Amino acid sequence: MSAALLAVRDLAVSFVTPDGTTTGLDGVSVDVGQGEIVGLVGETGCGKTLTGLAILGLLPRSARVTRGSITLDGRELLGLADAELRRLRGSSVAMVFQNPASAFNPVFTIGAQMRHVLAAHERLPKAAADARIRETLAEVGLPEADRILRAYPHQLSGGMLQRAMIAGALLCRPRLLIADEPTTALDVTIEAQILRLIRRLQESRGFSVLFITHDLGVIRTVSDRVVVLYAGRVAESAATEALFGRPAHPYTGGLMAAVPRSSARREALASIPGSVPADVGAIAGCAFAERCPVAIERCRAELPEARDLGGGHHAACHLAGQEAIP
Amino acid sequence: MTIEVLRPGVVVPRAGILRRFRRAVLADPLALAGVAVIALLVVLAVLGPWIAPYPGQGAGESDVPARMLGPSFAHPFGTDGLGRDMLSRVIVGARPALVVSLLVVGLAMLIGVPLGALAGYRRGRLDALIMRVTDLFLAFPPLLLAMAIVAALGPGLDHAALALAISWWPWYARLARGTATSLRERPFIEAARSIGVGDATILRRHIVPNSITPLLVQATIDIGTVILAAGSLAFLGLGASPPTPDWGLMVAEGRAYVLDQWWLSTFPGLAIFVAVLAFNLVGDLLLDLLDPRGTK
Amino acid sequence: MTRFIARRLAGSAAVLLGLSLITFALARLVPSNPAAVYIGPKARPEDIARVAQELGLDRPLPIQYVTYMLDMLTGDWGTSIGTKRPVLEEIVGRLPATIELILAAMLLAVPAGILLGVLSARWQRRPPDLVVRVVSIVGVSLPAFWLGLLLQILFFRTLHLLPLTGRVDPDLRFTSPIVETTGLYLLDTALSGNWVAFRDVAWHLVLPALTLAAYPIGLIARMTRASMLEALGQDYVRAARAAGIGERLITYRLALKNALIPVTTVVGLTLAYSLTGTFFVEVVYNWPGLGTFTVKGLLNLDYPVVMGVTLFGAVGYVVINLAVDLAQSWLDPRTRVA
Repeated sequence: MSAALLAVRDLAVSFVTPDGTTTGLDGVSVDVGQGEIVGLVGETGCGKTLTGLAILGLLPRSARVTRGSITLDGRELLGLADAELRRLRGSSVAMVFQNPASAFNPVFTIGAQMRHVLAAHERLPKAAADARIRETLAEVGLPEADRILRAYPHQLSGGMLQRAMIAGALLCRPRLLIADEPTTALDVTIEAQILRLIRRLQESRGFSVLFITHDLGVIRTVSDRVVVLYAGRVAESAATEALFGRPAHPYTGGLMAAVPRSSARREALASIPGSVPADVGAIAGCAFAERCPVAIERCRAELPEARDLGGGHHAACHLAGQEAIP
Repeated sequence: MTIEVLRPGVVVPRAGILRRFRRAVLADPLALAGVAVIALLVVLAVLGPWIAPYPGQGAGESDVPARMLGPSFAHPFGTDGLGRDMLSRVIVGARPALVVSLLVVGLAMLIGVPLGALAGYRRGRLDALIMRVTDLFLAFPPLLLAMAIVAALGPGLDHAALALAISWWPWYARLARGTATSLRERPFIEAARSIGVGDATILRRHIVPNSITPLLVQATIDIGTVILAAGSLAFLGLGASPPTPDWGLMVAEGRAYVLDQWWLSTFPGLAIFVAVLAFNLVGDLLLDLLDPRGTK
Repeated sequence: MTRFIARRLAGSAAVLLGLSLITFALARLVPSNPAAVYIGPKARPEDIARVAQELGLDRPLPIQYVTYMLDMLTGDWGTSIGTKRPVLEEIVGRLPATIELILAAMLLAVPAGILLGVLSARWQRRPPDLVVRVVSIVGVSLPAFWLGLLLQILFFRTLHLLPLTGRVDPDLRFTSPIVETTGLYLLDTALSGNWVAFRDVAWHLVLPALTLAAYPIGLIARMTRASMLEALGQDYVRAARAAGIGERLITYRLALKNALIPVTTVVGLTLAYSLTGTFFVEVVYNWPGLGTFTVKGLLNLDYPVVMGVTLFGAVGYVVINLAVDLAQSWLDPRTRVA
């Protein structure tokens, strides 16, 4: 197996506000290999978007990285000078956002905005730049480039805008694409199209993807491997089918059980009782212990390390690997 | 003319506003200075004649042998053409300045708020009519209408105050209409309507009291602006007349001698400036508290 | 686009009609007797009655209003009691001086205000931001007439750098007379190559323009700052950063274009402010413009002049608002009418 393209190791991020310090991420480790699609899944507030932003060095002003490392192709990103980071953003690592309508500047045409991105990284003559843009637009399924390039964001539909955003991200041929909830704001049918598009582009161009979402169904469709995040810590990571077939962490099990299934019988909706802790940094033991159906004394006292269950399957649970979780 | 106007329709929770205000003021040194100055103004307005070193001169008595003296220990702001102590005049001038402002703002609210609330609550043709009239008044450049009214009525502090009130009421009508429009959809208003409470009572007991906070904030900001407007009218000769210790009038009186006896115009004008500045600083703070989407 | 303008003009016409009604009401419902004022203090009752009839003051009010409107539309705005010349002629004659002053002030205030606002937002919470915020709140709080006097004391009396009053040195009428083409002296002197006069006119323009510009700079800087901060917090700025676009391009092009949309409204407001602000500045600097003329009219109860200028100012305001709307629709593709 080739060395990981992206290696996030023990990343910890805190928020410093006048009302105190809270922990956003507490020792998160994620690897994305060459040409791999890794899904980062978890509830709102678990830190998955933070992870994406930290990779690009775009954390909000109140956030600080307190420990850990992020390497891209072996090169450390944390602590890199602003100018260097800027060179990487959009060219080596690109990001796609949740709401395409607000991610585009309303007073510039799509074409102008794509030219801005290209101009930030490559000095191409106008004709060559135009050609590259049209080529990329065609790749994402927008062949009528003329109309798109001249249009303003408010004149295009959500699906088209998302495709355009993906095109913008791929303009400079990045090695890694971070997709932060790219389909959450879209209709289900459009969502399916975009997911297919991402898979297709990944196959033809060979870049890696870090796919961030809260939707288990989407994760299962699109990822090769999955990392489950809870309250700023990694709960479980495994190959997609291994995770869905034999979840090892009680939280993963709970998540899957909570997904409403269409069935003939009317079942009560399962949910995980309680709520996500506010500041995981204050918790010595397992963050999930309070809500876990099988928690023991040790869970509350001692922080569970990631246990290797074989085949690249890891779970941060003292009870992992013992019995199948219901 | 106001520098900032609350977005019409912003309905503000009243609970704890005084506490939040105190906390915000203590955190911001500029706003704190503003509050201090306003407090000073109120003190001067109330106790002026007792604080001023030469209260009689403040009112208008002259002391001609002591005319045109520069700033000194005895007369920190100097003396004017009739020998009157400028410091006393400025101190005593705080009362007319503040009283006229409060009068103007009060009158403007008295006219504007009921009209605006009525328009916003009833909607329909009444609303359209009242809003057309409001738009008409607001279509005049600031102060121009007031000047025209004063010209029609004749100069004088009372005419100036009336003219300013007539120019100002449309702002309050707009603001009141905005809050009335957003309040009328609220369940408690619907409940009152359904049990048969009359319109006038609803307006009086529910709509207006719930709109009071943004209106009061706007009024506070406006007091400063009106001080400036009244002073400007007086400067042109359209407001108070001698020997009233009106700050704007004093600046005008000193203008002929401004190059050599600079203190005659400088200190009264400074008083206007400091007063307006203080109200603007506090007004900024209030706007931030009430509408966080604003300047900060 | 033309339909949009036509529709707006039609709406404005309704407003102007209402405005004329108000000015008419003001002029006619005045306590004092206009006819008596017109003739002067030593008139006999028969003369007053005769003049009243001449001026049409004895006819019923609605007819007076219609006559008034018809006169206005045909260019007869009455005669000035003070100068005995047609009001419209007086207004138009003095307009260029005032326009030059307002133009100079706005050309100074708008770029300066926007720049200060942008810098303040860019360096938020650091020294440039604090300086700009102090400058802007001082600017909107300064009484213009007081500032004018202070500047005169400083630059004329103390520093002997700039002239005290007036638009041009009276001696120049003989040495380098100005050939008036537009009435805007800076333009006229430049066009005719009269550089001596140009320098003199420019020198005279500095203090009045600065005085008039104080409030606009303050207000524009404040609003630009607020608008920029809002723009810089938007998703598209974060997306631009994620795409590797540089901070300078983001601030001065991508965010600024969005921020300028509300700023056009503010510029319109400051233009409206200048319409009356110029009165005070002209009085302090003895500037031979519409302002000094109007103030004289106000003090002398020259009603035709006062009503004429009021209507004129209101018309100007309507035009300004229309221009602001057009500018906004040009800047913001979402509201574009074409």
